Amino acid sequence: MNLCMRLCAAVLVAGVLTAAADEQPWTLEASNWEKGKDLLPEPVVKRLQKGEYWFKVVSADPSKFRHNYSQAFWDATEKNAGRYDLDEKTCGLKDKATDKIPDFVFGLPFPQFDKADPKAGCKIAWNFAMAGAQGGGGGATFTLNGVDTGGQFRRIKAFIHTRGYQGRHFGPIKENPEGLSGEAIGGALEPVDVEGVSTLTKRYWNWDGQDAVWAYVPSTRRARRVNAASRSDPVAGLDIFADDLNCYAGKVEYYQWKLVGEQTILAPLLQPYPFPMRSVSPTRQLIDTPYMPAGYEVPNAKGAPWWIQQNLLFVPRPVWVVEGQSSDPYYNFGKVIMYFDKEIYRIYWKQVHNRAGEYFYTAMCGYHFVKNDETFSAVFPNLVVGVNDKTNRAALGGRYQSSFLEQSWDPSYFSLRTLTHMTD
Amino acid sequence: MTVRGTVLLVGSLGALAGYLWVVELGPLRAAPPATREAAPLLPVPPAAVARVELAEGVRRTTALRAEHGWTDAAGRAWPDGAVTDLIAALGALRPLTTVDADPATPGDYGLGPGARRLELAGTDGRPFLALELGERNPAWTGLYARRAGEPAVLLVGAVLGWELEKLRRAAPAPDP
Repeated sequence: MNLCMRLCAAVLVAGVLTAAADEQPWTLEASNWEKGKDLLPEPVVKRLQKGEYWFKVVSADPSKFRHNYSQAFWDATEKNAGRYDLDEKTCGLKDKATDKIPDFVFGLPFPQFDKADPKAGCKIAWNFAMAGAQGGGGGATFTLNGVDTGGQFRRIKAFIHTRGYQGRHFGPIKENPEGLSGEAIGGALEPVDVEGVSTLTKRYWNWDGQDAVWAYVPSTRRARRVNAASRSDPVAGLDIFADDLNCYAGKVEYYQWKLVGEQTILAPLLQPYPFPMRSVSPTRQLIDTPYMPAGYEVPNAKGAPWWIQQNLLFVPRPVWVVEGQSSDPYYNFGKVIMYFDKEIYRIYWKQVHNRAGEYFYTAMCGYHFVKNDETFSAVFPNLVVGVNDKTNRAALGGRYQSSFLEQSWDPSYFSLRTLTHMTD
Repeated sequence: MTVRGTVLLVGSLGALAGYLWVVELGPLRAAPPATREAAPLLPVPPAAVARVELAEGVRRTTALRAEHGWTDAAGRAWPDGAVTDLIAALGALRPLTTVDADPATPGDYGLGPGARRLELAGTDGRPFLALELGERNPAWTGLYARRAGEPAVLLVGAVLGWELEKLRRAAPAPDP
């Protein structure tokens, strides 16, 4: 009996130690690539095998990770159970009580769903959209860097400012005369030949309306309306697309969504838990985050010149594998395969095929979290590494060191007037 | 200008326009399109397909159209989606290019003996498509394939590889 107890204790201790060892950070690299072959999209595994990429893998406590989002968010999510459905034709969000689009949504609209439900993919997409909208609005100044095997070939400094009307903590904004779900203004700051080139986007809170997008070019002093499908056009000739923000930046209704699987994947994060924020006004908070240098910026760096060298961690996370496809003939992408976190609904990776079915592009989308107490939280997209495997070139987007949250923009800020006076 | 002059000018312009239309632009109007889009891999509507078979070494994955959905050779139901997605993809995919019209060593492309084989047939057993499937190309954008009985190596979009992977993963599990 005594021997049995000792053996049991030894087995238990060994088990605990093994579990503790599993929690230790480890590096996935070419020498142990087999450990990562089911944790990454196939084209990424290929580069891992060749030593172009490596991954610092850290575990995150599942409960603590969930609480990257505020308790207010999770309480609202719980209350949303059973409240919403989808419009059959468009996959638009529908309030079951009215059969219409809901006035305001906060939290995940579909905390539970049946994965065999043909509409499961669309429900996942709605959870993603509302998780991303919780911060309410803000902005950052960031860079877009075109990088090929020889190093950087183009750098653009730009900014983006956003305001969300749906999904935000603290309830709806009273004034929303255009019936929007969100709006954004973005523009190039450097180099001088593109300075002032800017866009204004208005996304309507309806099932079938296209985004209204205007582009302004200072040399012509004209703001032109452009097709919303231009989100699949390369930004400034780089291997990155407007639709890479958060790994999907369109309206949920633009895609046909299909849940095709589930697995564990390595989630790129600046850190697994929230960053602090500091108030600089009653409505504005600043967040400082570390820069993520890439290989082309670091002397004697190993791996691909576009691969991030520091300040990026990879957390194994359970994900839904979802296909998305646009029916818009002007949209350049064919089938897009996306990996959505099953709990916090961020897309970490996407693989893109063109309309001829040819795979050409993978984007890795990194995030960071901010939270004050349990009444407010936000998740920021802070990194896109877009790799065009057809041309063996890449582009990096984001990597900002400072960002802000803004709860109360000037009502007239997101307007054509702002767009056309950006360089005044 | 006199009336006679105007008539002469209009006449000359008419003759010039006629010359341009018939002589100069004629060949352009009649010119065939420079390139013809290749036909889809699957030449029949997806609804006509009654049998899908993927042979990979000793492993054989079969889907047979049943009254409600698809079953495997043992009658087990396939989950929704994977079989129909593959058929839809084959109906939309067109060869991207002919990589090698008559390869000396098909094995360089992962083709030949031991290659994966995909066959789609109708209710009467008539084959609609029989493909030999090879390796992914170096850029990973497509995979090599050739039609059964034809030497030419085609490059097909990699989405076909994704659909085949889905088919493999979704295959009904054998009874315990």
